[in-house]
Amino acid sequence: MSPSATTPASSAAAFLAFRDDLDEHNDRRERLIKCSRDITIASKRVVFLLHRIMTEAASDGRELSSRAAAEGHKKLRDVQALFANIREEVRGDRFWRYQHNISPGLQEYIEALSFAHYLEHGTLITYDEVHASLTDESGSPYFPLPVSDYLLGVSDLTGELMRFAISSISKRGGRTKASEVSNFVRGCKADFEGFTPHIRDLSKKQAVTSQSLRKIEEAAYAIVVRSSEYDLTPEQLDDIVGQAVSGHGDAFDEPHGSGRRRGRGENSDEFDEY
Amino acid sequence: MDPQDLQFINTLLDGDAELRDKIKEHVVDFDRKTRTMVGTLNKIHSTPSSQVPVLLDSLRPMLLGCQNTTAALAGIIPPEQFWRWKDMWNNSLRAAIFSAVFVEFLATGHLLSLAATSEQLGVREEWKDRFIISVEDYLHGLITMVNELSRLAVNSVTLGDFEAPIRISLFVKELFAGFSMLNLKNDLLRRRFDSLKYDIKKIEEVVYDVSLRQLANPTVTAS
Repeated sequence: MSPSATTPASSAAAFLAFRDDLDEHNDRRERLIKCSRDITIASKRVVFLLHRIMTEAASDGRELSSRAAAEGHKKLRDVQALFANIREEVRGDRFWRYQHNISPGLQEYIEALSFAHYLEHGTLITYDEVHASLTDESGSPYFPLPVSDYLLGVSDLTGELMRFAISSISKRGGRTKASEVSNFVRGCKADFEGFTPHIRDLSKKQAVTSQSLRKIEEAAYAIVVRSSEYDLTPEQLDDIVGQAVSGHGDAFDEPHGSGRRRGRGENSDEFDEY
Repeated sequence: MDPQDLQFINTLLDGDAELRDKIKEHVVDFDRKTRTMVGTLNKIHSTPSSQVPVLLDSLRPMLLGCQNTTAALAGIIPPEQFWRWKDMWNNSLRAAIFSAVFVEFLATGHLLSLAATSEQLGVREEWKDRFIISVEDYLHGLITMVNELSRLAVNSVTLGDFEAPIRISLFVKELFAGFSMLNLKNDLLRRRFDSLKYDIKKIEEVVYDVSLRQLANPTVTAS
């Protein structure tokens, strides 16, 4: 046995190649983490935009939600462009290597997309519909869509829907909407329950969904109990509730929004007789 | 949820679960093989140098046996999904890599390259999106070897082989120089690399002890 028969030069060359390999991997990882973060931010903004539009005063709720969905989808196209950008980075077998680096952004995107979809159609976006939103003009997907990201993303939708239901409960027709939402969320929760053994972290999301559901149910309960004290039509009740909550700032306060609320408050005299 | 979509997702999840179970079976088998190898390799610390070739000969069929496992895994991993499942066999594979590189050093004093390690474990180029030996796994295997070499430096002296620590020292220093060229991020590999200096220190102490007492053959020392 000769002492260290490996010539230093060859092992140095090998390690230089390893260095390039590791550097390339780490750099790509960093780029994708950053991109995932950008996608998260952009997606959260879409969710806020949707809430904001939905809390606007409007006579026709249908018209409002289709406008919200349209504007949401328009903004989501920018997010889809971010996914298109990373297509090369995650091509082929690289996708699964970096999947956990991009999944936070992907889930946030799915949440925003499913919210816009719910407002438009009143249904849960399907796996195929999500995947179809991440394809190029010719319809070929940017990357495979992990079932886990789909399920975890749509699980987050329930939290947004709860917020939506609570903030719209004070509006005309809001109680019907809240009960629609709670039925929908209840359905989601039941459907997802069967997947929990397969998907890590899904049971945590299910717990959050239960909490959201409780909040909507309690709000609906409070309204039924209070409204039983009055002998009113649902429309009159809407007006009372609307008046009662005006002045309480909500999460989506906008400069012009406060002006509108003040305007409503000035008309409050007409309710004095109740 | 739309019943059709529910069904579809269930099918996907069931498919994944089934694949996971199949991989698991092979990994359990792989784990058993590598534990036997590592256990056998452990005997090197009590094997006199004259008996080393016999020990190594008994290890070669075991290394060859790993080829069945790598082939089986490459056979069931869907294309482009290597990285999705590889965490399941990380430990076994790293143990197999360690065994291969350690056997090579003991037999020839050479560093078994990554390509040669892949070849020994039967990993084929055309599997590259289903089964490969990643640089990270190979480096983990090398670090495990250095950990063992610091023990071997001590134990070979106990067995009366005073030259071995010097050979080990030269070999390990070269490996360490290689590792120092890498930009490691803060992960397991980095922590294990940081611990290499203790192994090197131990080996140097042994070299110091045998040199001081002029126990080693001067011709080896001189090279």
